Amino acid sequence: MLKRLVTILTVVLFVFTAASFGFAGEKGNARKGKYTYKNIYKACNERGEIDSPRPVLNPDSKTQAQWTRVFEKKDFAEFKCSEEWSKLSDNDLNDIYTYLYSYAADSPSPAKCK
Amino acid sequence: MRLKLTHTRYVLFVLWICLLFVAPTPSFAKQKPEAPGLELARQAVKTGKKPTTADHSQFKALQQAFTSGPEISKACISCHTKAAEQLKETLHWTWLDPNSPKDNVKGKAGYSLNNFCISANGMHDHHCNECHIGWNTEGKKTEIDCLRCHGQKKINWEEVFEDYRYFTESEDPEENALAKDAQAEIQEAAQSVGYPTRTNCGSCHFFGGGGDGVKHGDLDSSLINPNRELDVHMGYDGQDFDCVRCHTTVAHKVAGRIYGTPASDTRQSLLEHDLEAKIMCESCHSDNPHHSNSKMNDHTDKVACQSCHVPEFAKVLPVQVWWDWSQAGKKKDGKPYDVKGPFDKPVYQSGRGETKWEKNVIPKYFWFNGSIQGVTAKDIIDPSKPVKLAWPVGDRSDKNARIFPFHVHQGKQPYDIENKTMAAPLLSGEHGYWATFDWQDSIQRGADYLNLPFSGKIGFVETGYVFPSTHMVAPKEEALECNQCHTRPESRLANLTGFYMPGRDRVNVVDIAGWVIVLCSFGGIVLHALGRIFANGRKREE
Repeated sequence: MLKRLVTILTVVLFVFTAASFGFAGEKGNARKGKYTYKNIYKACNERGEIDSPRPVLNPDSKTQAQWTRVFEKKDFAEFKCSEEWSKLSDNDLNDIYTYLYSYAADSPSPAKCK
Repeated sequence: MRLKLTHTRYVLFVLWICLLFVAPTPSFAKQKPEAPGLELARQAVKTGKKPTTADHSQFKALQQAFTSGPEISKACISCHTKAAEQLKETLHWTWLDPNSPKDNVKGKAGYSLNNFCISANGMHDHHCNECHIGWNTEGKKTEIDCLRCHGQKKINWEEVFEDYRYFTESEDPEENALAKDAQAEIQEAAQSVGYPTRTNCGSCHFFGGGGDGVKHGDLDSSLINPNRELDVHMGYDGQDFDCVRCHTTVAHKVAGRIYGTPASDTRQSLLEHDLEAKIMCESCHSDNPHHSNSKMNDHTDKVACQSCHVPEFAKVLPVQVWWDWSQAGKKKDGKPYDVKGPFDKPVYQSGRGETKWEKNVIPKYFWFNGSIQGVTAKDIIDPSKPVKLAWPVGDRSDKNARIFPFHVHQGKQPYDIENKTMAAPLLSGEHGYWATFDWQDSIQRGADYLNLPFSGKIGFVETGYVFPSTHMVAPKEEALECNQCHTRPESRLANLTGFYMPGRDRVNVVDIAGWVIVLCSFGGIVLHALGRIFANGRKREE
């Protein structure tokens, strides 16, 4: 019984770790992520959903841990422009995450989208 | 009779109604007209903001693919052919006071010192050079950066050019495609140009001394979008002036004081000389700005407008008032550390020493003829007393001097004990004090850059550095009242001696004579009254 429980727990832990590895472990391309992120809002602005082509959230709007949670949950409602966000590949999302994480409020160089 | 009464009531009723309408009219009629100085100023600035006549996005020169900042400047200069030549003559580029002695030239590129980051080491300190209007921190060894003052779009140039280079050179087609996005950002910013805004000027002048509000007190980032309460001229709900509205510019020469050279040698109004810079209050408000019967007009020859109309500074953000370099260099567990204090500002930094901050600061007042005298790295000092690194010139006998408000920044900084000269340590870079925490080495390097001797013996001396308080002009309702100066013992002008000021000063002989006259008059009245009483009494008896 105990052996089965340990096996199940190990499998569950492995699944969770693997699922979160994409955002917390594998590093994307922050430079690419910055332009992909900006392009979402340019397209969204042209479509007329938002009034400005500037991103709704700046990298320094959240801490690194907060960005990790947002991308783990894949809950992008706060970012608006759901149509554009839904078209992004996992690689794009990882690049954007890396960009936002690298310049988060508690990072060495917090940034705004200039 | 009854009819008559009704008629009378009717007439009275109509009269009361009329009075209700008419009564406010006299108060409007009696409303005080605007002071002549205010009326003149309104006329001088009637036209509002300068309109632009060109859409820069239409120019071919600005539609090319730019790979570096200097390329953008070359595009600007291809049309504005004299701009670079003009700019390179100005203080903004030279960092030198052209009117100072050739062997002891003043300016950040010369021998001038302050009690903030002390010296720019003849433009060898790259940290200071971040505010020089070139494209890099190499001082004058680069092309002018037109967009520093004229760019209307905030952009990190270094980052965007690096991105563009990276994407262009990338072999990944996806990354390669992003090069056009980076270039689009570059071109959009290069084409967004106009007259300098408060943000343009403020990017350096609000952050002088290494941070927001460190230096001036009357200049900090709160003036990027101020309300009228903070500054009547710049307030978005006031006149919404940009800096260049008063710091008028001819051939890129921006009106303003240059070290010892006053901002203007005359105090003429634009009515007297229409091409005069608007840099003085009198330019728009005249030297008789108050109502003709106002006693305040009698002050304008000896008291600067700012003395009453800038009653305090650092009204929104705190200003640094003290910087003690002698405390720098301490470490915790072998590492540099910072301590934050009131206003969330640093009160200790290992690389900088101890600092103090204040808000709503009352200025100090001095006689000032528009010139500031400075101590340079070449001048001999007397370390037994505080060194006046920058101090206002003028006294009561100087016909051009008036009482003026100042922010006085004090501190302690290194000097050469043997040569009796102020030290000019190199602070930034891999050999600067901030990296090595070695005063000997950083002062030697700073001296070498300035070609000055250094004995190797270091002491610390107290210093003072003044800034005229001329921004953050308060609404007239908040200007100083008479009794804030004409009072004792807490007059704002208590430190200015050598002249008689009613309300503040007393001359014992005059005071005694006055009281004698008062008492004699009173005695006379009493005697006269008694005489009348007794005389009347006698008459009645008779």
